Amino acid sequence: MPEVVLSIRDLEKTYPGGVQAVRGVSFDVHQGESVAIIGSSGSGKSTVLRCINRLIEPTGGVIELVGTQINTPKANVNEIRSRIGMVFQSFELFAHLKVLENVTLGLRHVRGMSKSEADKVAMEVLERVDLLERVDAYPGNLSGGQKQRVAIARALAMKPEVILFDEPTSALDPELIGSVLKTIRGLADEGMTMIIVTHEINFARDVADRIVYLDHGLVAEEGPSSIINNPKTERMQRFLASMNEEH
Amino acid sequence: MNSRRVGVERIFSWSALEEKTRVGILVSVFLLVAISPAIGQSTESGWDIAESSVDSDLNAAAVYGNEIWAFGDGGLMLSSSDEGMTWSTVSSTTTANFISADSAYESMAVLDSTGSVLIKQGQDADWVNIGTPSEGMTDLVLIGEESLILVGDEGAIWKYSASNWLKIETQFTQNLNDVSFLDENNGIACGEDGTILFTDNGGTSWDSRESPLGATSSNLVSVSYYSRVRMFAVSSNGEILASISEGAQNWYLVEIESEGYSTSLNMTLTSIEVVSGSKILFSGPDNYLGFSKDGGNKVEHNLIPEGVDTSFNDHAMINAFKGIVVGDKGVILFTDNSGENDQVGYEIPDYNNFGEFVEYADDMMLDGFKATVKIVGFGIIFGFLIGVILAMLKTAPTNLKGLVEGRPNVIIRIIGGGLIVIGINLFWNGLSGFSELGLDGIEYIFTPVGDSRGFAKFGLGIAFTLLGLLFLSNNGKFSKMKIGRLTLNPWKIRPLNWIATLYTDFFRNTPLIVQFMFIHFGLSLGMEIQDAYESSFGAIGTDGFDYWLLGESAFISAIFTLGLNSGAYQCETIRGAIAAIPSGQMEAGRSIGLTYMGTMKLVIMPQAIRICIPPIGNEMVNLVLNSSLAMVIGYAELSRQGRLIIAWTFQIFWAWGLVMISYFVVTWTLALLLRRLEEKTKIPGLGITGGG
Repeated sequence: MPEVVLSIRDLEKTYPGGVQAVRGVSFDVHQGESVAIIGSSGSGKSTVLRCINRLIEPTGGVIELVGTQINTPKANVNEIRSRIGMVFQSFELFAHLKVLENVTLGLRHVRGMSKSEADKVAMEVLERVDLLERVDAYPGNLSGGQKQRVAIARALAMKPEVILFDEPTSALDPELIGSVLKTIRGLADEGMTMIIVTHEINFARDVADRIVYLDHGLVAEEGPSSIINNPKTERMQRFLASMNEEH
Repeated sequence: MNSRRVGVERIFSWSALEEKTRVGILVSVFLLVAISPAIGQSTESGWDIAESSVDSDLNAAAVYGNEIWAFGDGGLMLSSSDEGMTWSTVSSTTTANFISADSAYESMAVLDSTGSVLIKQGQDADWVNIGTPSEGMTDLVLIGEESLILVGDEGAIWKYSASNWLKIETQFTQNLNDVSFLDENNGIACGEDGTILFTDNGGTSWDSRESPLGATSSNLVSVSYYSRVRMFAVSSNGEILASISEGAQNWYLVEIESEGYSTSLNMTLTSIEVVSGSKILFSGPDNYLGFSKDGGNKVEHNLIPEGVDTSFNDHAMINAFKGIVVGDKGVILFTDNSGENDQVGYEIPDYNNFGEFVEYADDMMLDGFKATVKIVGFGIIFGFLIGVILAMLKTAPTNLKGLVEGRPNVIIRIIGGGLIVIGINLFWNGLSGFSELGLDGIEYIFTPVGDSRGFAKFGLGIAFTLLGLLFLSNNGKFSKMKIGRLTLNPWKIRPLNWIATLYTDFFRNTPLIVQFMFIHFGLSLGMEIQDAYESSFGAIGTDGFDYWLLGESAFISAIFTLGLNSGAYQCETIRGAIAAIPSGQMEAGRSIGLTYMGTMKLVIMPQAIRICIPPIGNEMVNLVLNSSLAMVIGYAELSRQGRLIIAWTFQIFWAWGLVMISYFVVTWTLALLLRRLEEKTKIPGLGITGGG
């Protein structure tokens, strides 16, 4: 068994106002593994993901990145985040920067690379996401799929230990989804450690090594991707049935 | 267009303009120059050439009764009885060169280069040689009908009285050049190495007077003892020395305003003539004549009539206006306005004529225009910086919980205890001062003015005490507080936001005109900054960059007031723009490991500033318009210049019209620049721009 990159134990998050979004979630992510988190709206998927890089401060539980607890007040949150990539549902590219500058921003200002070094790294990752010809474009001039691939490149460039995908295809037109999924699948094949929150059940089954099904802030079912074909719990069966109806 | 432009070129580039526009601009500029009227006025010399019909050097001149006399080389004597216009030679008994002359007490005396003295007592009397006490004499002065003083080289002083020559023994050995007496007793002699000698007993004994610093090695060539409290001397290198103390004490060097406050005219001088308490005529070699109406502060260099090429040696003035000046090669010039340059072709302007009104007003308008642009420029930069800082403070998420969380509770409690001690101390300190103010009831609202330090202590004391209590009560739970029906969470307080809010509330709820007067007159901010600068970098001086920037205290106060005020308004605009940036941008910045400030600087602000260019432009235009209030603190911007023009011309409609047009030009240019800036910095996909 490869080493555990990320370990989550009894994660809890209660929002101000008393909403208990996550009520004790535990799972491990191993080196090179891709984990898909699925579940209906409000089940706490995004909250779990954002707790991992502390965009949301968890109210309880332990998160360990390569054996070190990261949700303590003493932990250097900026250093931790630079080791955890994140891809957002709405891309969140920096609109005033060109594609290349979007990718190099973190390299230069967090990693402290020179412009030429950063450009070199950025060109490599942009080649991986197949966007070499758009390096001088502004995000406003890209299609949704291209934007999301730039966002993936931006996360990849930092050479993270794990990348978090927060519904990476939800904001895309159906015909643009393919290129993004292809890119993510490529990363999975290369052995990138990933956590993907997604509604694309088929994609989750294809790409993910393991599925975590969340319901009402708890892990309702967990297992290899094959559990999508044979869900054990009634809740997951109902969830999958409702997803199939939509498609 | 992909070429990158830098600096100003990003906003304005001549080559980027269309050809049509370029031609249009050139034609307008040409037309403006072509229709501006030529000025037909000129300045002429106030001196006229008198026909002397001699070509010997003339060295001395004197007014004697209703005649003027001039004396020159080879025993040459000339006299004029029509105020210097026509001259005739007078037969002389000597062929030596005359070097000095004086008339007083109905006598006239001349000194020649051999040291012989001739005296003439009465209009019809003949010249009488009264002897040759010594060679090397340089100047003589009459101190009575038949008594005179001679001064000369190596400190020689001779006195002639009761038909006897007496050598005055002194310890001075410097060469003396000139001597002048106020009356029979009081006199001053001057000479090399800044020598100034004074007598109050008719020249029997002399005391030395201290030469001003800077003139201790100057060669003082001429002195005039005009009145008990008006004494002037000049040095050969153009310095003007003056004393206004009885007994010729306390000499100082005149700072010559018209020479940039230098202490020298930068001209070689040979002689001065003081014709009233503050009116001085200067003469020197190389055609130099000068004139000052105010004791040397402003010196006009006289124009000299054409064809004159001489070295001027001596004046002889009949009164404060009429007189002559003599020079080498037989030159005699006469004047009836003390030599002041004549302005020919000037008329009394008729300000009911718009052309003449503009002729008068345009220079003042231009000065006001420049002054306005100057404060507006600095005000905008300053206001924008303050606006950005305040907006960052206002949006800063730092709250008390964030400050405390993650630190050991013991330390927090110790800090809390310390804060309480300091707070209560400050509180009582401030409060005890209040009782001495003698205020009553609601009057206590004015304590910030009556005892500002005390008030600050009082306020800080309360804040520190409450903060200390909160820290002391910290148990790591950061729970809310219930006071009656009120629920508070003091841990959510954002101190930076509080400070910024206090600032903006204050500046937005007081009138700008009062802020101007409070800051300039109340705090004397401009003067304080000047003093601080001068004490650390030396005097500001009267030209150069530091003078341009800091020379005027009203200017400094004005940019601070405008900047502080505009910053308070711009802050809200910028804060709005920051709020308009999707929160995901901050998350994205943070998720790649940037710090909060790093994300603000690299991600949020560059986008927010682009969004807020139009509303910030509004604020900047407001700032230009508000700058007119700087007139109340005496800053000479456009509105104040308008008032001054009205005071002179009484053309109210035209003057304010000119002022309005000038403001429009400033604000409109600014608006155009901002529009261009907005276009140049536009990013595809950021905001709804209506095309492009």
